[in-house]
Amino acid sequence: MLAPTPAAGPLLREWLLIGLQSFGGGNATFALIRQTFVERKHWIEAGEFNRLFALVQIAPGINLLALNILIGKRLLGWRGILVSLFGLLLPSVAVATLLTAGYARVQHTAIARNALHGFLPATVGLGCVTSIQMAHTSLKEAKKEGRLSLVLGLVLLAASGLAVGKLGWAVLPVLFLAGCIQAMATGWLRRKAPVEEPTR
Amino acid sequence: MNPLLYFWLFLKASLFSTGGFGNLPSLHHDLLARGWATESQFAESMMVGQISPGPNGLWVISLGYLTDGLRGTLCALLAVSLPPFLVLIVERIYRAVEGHPAVEGFMRGLTLAISGIFVVILLNLLHSAGMITPFWSSVNARPLTIAIAALLLGSTKRVPFPLIIILGAVVGLLWH
Repeated sequence: MLAPTPAAGPLLREWLLIGLQSFGGGNATFALIRQTFVERKHWIEAGEFNRLFALVQIAPGINLLALNILIGKRLLGWRGILVSLFGLLLPSVAVATLLTAGYARVQHTAIARNALHGFLPATVGLGCVTSIQMAHTSLKEAKKEGRLSLVLGLVLLAASGLAVGKLGWAVLPVLFLAGCIQAMATGWLRRKAPVEEPTR
Repeated sequence: MNPLLYFWLFLKASLFSTGGFGNLPSLHHDLLARGWATESQFAESMMVGQISPGPNGLWVISLGYLTDGLRGTLCALLAVSLPPFLVLIVERIYRAVEGHPAVEGFMRGLTLAISGIFVVILLNLLHSAGMITPFWSSVNARPLTIAIAALLLGSTKRVPFPLIIILGAVVGLLWH
């Protein structure tokens, strides 16, 4: 059962709490949003939440901000969007700015430089994890279409990296080109071997 | 530094990408080419992004601060807040083309390219910090060990990312 739609005050309060507590990046934030809106407050149905989350995957920019906007709109229209965005961003942005300002003050000390030599490679390692996770989801989709599609996926992955890293191509054209190649390939593969539609 | 152009570079990068770090390749290229940011500022802002609360994508807030102070912070904030509003249009269009193979394919190609470019940029970061040399002619054990350990720890999904960053900093302090 869904709870009645919240007023602007309680909605703002929940987003502020999420913005303050969600240490641990996107996954932690996403988990907290779902827990708050679906499980604790019952303001949004679980199925509806999944549908919204699928939609934000193809929206430009930060996915979680797009999710925040869709949830706000669903609950309170444009007022909901403004309240939600403000509530999530205020604490997160304030903390990020303060941390950066603090870091900027100490960055030239010996301790900060030694720490940098530790956390920079750690950041690189974690960046690779993010990259692998993104590629993994896409390659899994490709594998469903057959071996040819999987090979194409791997080629696109490596070729984009080489084009930018070794040949110095501009990033946006490479992204666009990769998108178009895969769009044509997927269109062609599906026509050849259409995925069966589930019967209703 | 032209503030309008600076804002446009941030906006463009977010507009034509998806996900928290999707804007990194484009920003990295544009800001470095103009000398408005350094490699290490990218690493530092990603670090802050990983340990701050909220979406990872807010790493650009930190990049804005490091490269142009509070004005940069506000530019970056506005630039990442606007593009997600297009989800309202996407929601409408998606109803019409939902499940079309070409649409799915395009999104997938985009994601694969971002992943590939991302890894190259990460290796460049280590390279520019003098931690690895081109073609691995001489390998410095410390950064590689830390990077691989972070990758393995992060892949388990059991250890929170901010904790891994802090562990990395501690190792850096003790081992030098």
